[in-house]
Amino acid sequence: MPQSLPDNINQTLMQRLNPAYLRLDATMKVTQTSSNLSEYGFADITEGVDATEHIDFLVGVDPAQALSLPVVASPNGHPVCIELLPEQGDLNVIIADAREQFDLQQKLQQKANENQLLLEKQRTLLGELHAAKAELARRNTELEEASRLQSSFLSGVSHEFRTPLTSILGHNDLLRKSLAAETRPKSDKKQIYTDAVRRASQHLLSLVENLLDHGKLDAGEITINPRPVQLSTLQNDLEMLLRPLADAKQIDLLMQRQYPVDESVYIDESRVRQCLINLAGNAIKFTDKGSVTISMAHKDDELQLRILDTGIGIKKEDLAKIRQPFWQVADTGKAGTGLGLSITERIIELMGGEMTIQSEYGRGTEVSFSLNAPATDASINLDQAREAAFKDQVSILLTEDDLDIAQLVVILLEEANAKVTHVENGELALQALQRDSFDLVLMDLNMPIMGGYETIRRMRDDGNHTPVVIMTASALEADMHKAQALGCDGYLLKPVEVADIVAIADQIIVPLE
Amino acid sequence: MVGDFAVGKTSLTQKFVNNVFSDKYLTTVGVKIDTADVSDTKLVVWDVAGRDALSPINAAYLAGAAGIVLVGDGTRPETIKSFAEIWQTVSGKLGDVPVVVALNKRDVDGWEVTDDLLQTSIQSSWAVFETSAKDGSNVPELFAALVDRINC
Ligand SMILES: Nc1nc2c(ncn2[C@@H]2O[C@H](COP(=O)(O)OP(=O)(O)OP(=O)(O)O)[C@@H](O)[C@H]2O)c(=O)[nH]1
Ligand SMILES: [Mg+2]
Repeated sequence: MPQSLPDNINQTLMQRLNPAYLRLDATMKVTQTSSNLSEYGFADITEGVDATEHIDFLVGVDPAQALSLPVVASPNGHPVCIELLPEQGDLNVIIADAREQFDLQQKLQQKANENQLLLEKQRTLLGELHAAKAELARRNTELEEASRLQSSFLSGVSHEFRTPLTSILGHNDLLRKSLAAETRPKSDKKQIYTDAVRRASQHLLSLVENLLDHGKLDAGEITINPRPVQLSTLQNDLEMLLRPLADAKQIDLLMQRQYPVDESVYIDESRVRQCLINLAGNAIKFTDKGSVTISMAHKDDELQLRILDTGIGIKKEDLAKIRQPFWQVADTGKAGTGLGLSITERIIELMGGEMTIQSEYGRGTEVSFSLNAPATDASINLDQAREAAFKDQVSILLTEDDLDIAQLVVILLEEANAKVTHVENGELALQALQRDSFDLVLMDLNMPIMGGYETIRRMRDDGNHTPVVIMTASALEADMHKAQALGCDGYLLKPVEVADIVAIADQIIVPLE
Repeated sequence: MVGDFAVGKTSLTQKFVNNVFSDKYLTTVGVKIDTADVSDTKLVVWDVAGRDALSPINAAYLAGAAGIVLVGDGTRPETIKSFAEIWQTVSGKLGDVPVVVALNKRDVDGWEVTDDLLQTSIQSSWAVFETSAKDGSNVPELFAALVDRINC
């Protein structure tokens, strides 16, 4: 390199850096300064002054130590680079412009640090997100648990309520029968009292069942099981059930039938019946004069159902609300859970239908829905099935721990031409089955010592194939599947009616000839 | 003033020296020097660029310091865990200088200073202050405590 080059570079750099210079003695007194010192904001530095009193960055520094400070900013003046170079007991202080370096580093560092802060923030947020997710999952399990508890609570309640209700209804029926057989003076009101007990108990039972269905609908536990049903029988049953209610209010109950007399269709009879009773029951409840019409039409595999009344009607603003659970018209003073309509609508939807309500306030209401209902040519005769007595005497083993219920069922079955042996638990039932043979076993599920399922399992293990019909108040569908898996032949929900037992027994018991 | 980047070293200094605070973050490059008078003592404050992932604290800026304000961000526990490493640099250069600790941003939601964290990151001889450069709480106390420690 020719000598001229380093000289050149030196000069350029010196120009750009514009270094200022000062020399201090060992006591930090200024002994020498460069003229450009004032450009760095140190105007009043003259020879002889104590540098530490004027130059902040010199406070506390050791004059015997070399020190290199790349970027120093102070309130007055721009960023500088500082070199402290001790020399023979003195200190050389070199101050140079660092603006370029400062600006560059500022940008880079700002960006890097802001990015880092964002990353940290993101990490925290992700952590919070994970925590929130975990919390959500935990709450979900809690909710599932709660809803499981609720449905098992409901099934428990149903058991607790249905059993005594069965007893009340049954014994009341016995009382009514024996009253009917007596000759009593005209003024005697016993019959009226027992009728009142029957109505109230049945009302209570339907309230319990509504609550139950509400819970089961929420838990998705209601399934629809279509079976062949004769339409005329269904409508006759409805009429029989509803006629007394209409008579009591002195309104007309009209039946419209648009189907062949012996038409049978596939529907879930008990659910359709439940919906119709709910809707027609409502119609009668809210109609004080005029009529309630139940219309059934079957055409092209479609069942059209319509309940028409001339009652108080529904205000426009109430039309949406009446479908909500637990809602009731405030000023009608009618009793109920307020669940009937919402349950009915949900069950209709489960069956693939849609409920429509048309109403004119003060004039009346029409509720209608239609269901897919394929015709069946299976020649079933439901009238025969619902006969209240066995044609030939049958022997029945009744396994039931509730003595009141047992007594009732025994009396009713004996009246229906059955010979009944009653035992109180599964263990005794197994013993009885070893001693004697029976045409049918009626089995309660919840019993002390040995429950129903366990008893049936042991029976089958012992090679005993006597038909078993389960009687239980526990309405959860899961029981049904378990029962079928164990080889049960039928399933009856309490309160059990003798006609149901007779019907189911007729189907199950194989004649011996 | 030493500590990780963005913990509030500049904010604490500016609050103390000029009684100002800004929400905007402007990172410090190198060192910024300010002065303040605490009773009879002239305090020259070296507000040193924060330690970040790439660059450690430049020990040259610590030369001649009579005391240290160790600053951490109470909402970022990592910046308090950093004290150990920072203290290595500081004590390597200065030996056992007086130290006060600022756990800063006390006014912000999400304070994450636990007893465990304090136990592992803070030496018993250090005076600890929970500060806010924003509302100024414990800021004068912090610097006064440092001056006390330096003077005795
Ligand atoms: N709310 C709140 N914000 C604060 C506080 N202290 C600082 N900040 C904010 O935090 C950010 C960083 O503050 P600085 O004072 O620049 O941090 P620093 O430690 O000097 O950062 P570097 O110079 O990069 O090392 C800025 O946006 C400040 O406004 C405080 O006590 N409360
Ligand atoms: Mg700063």
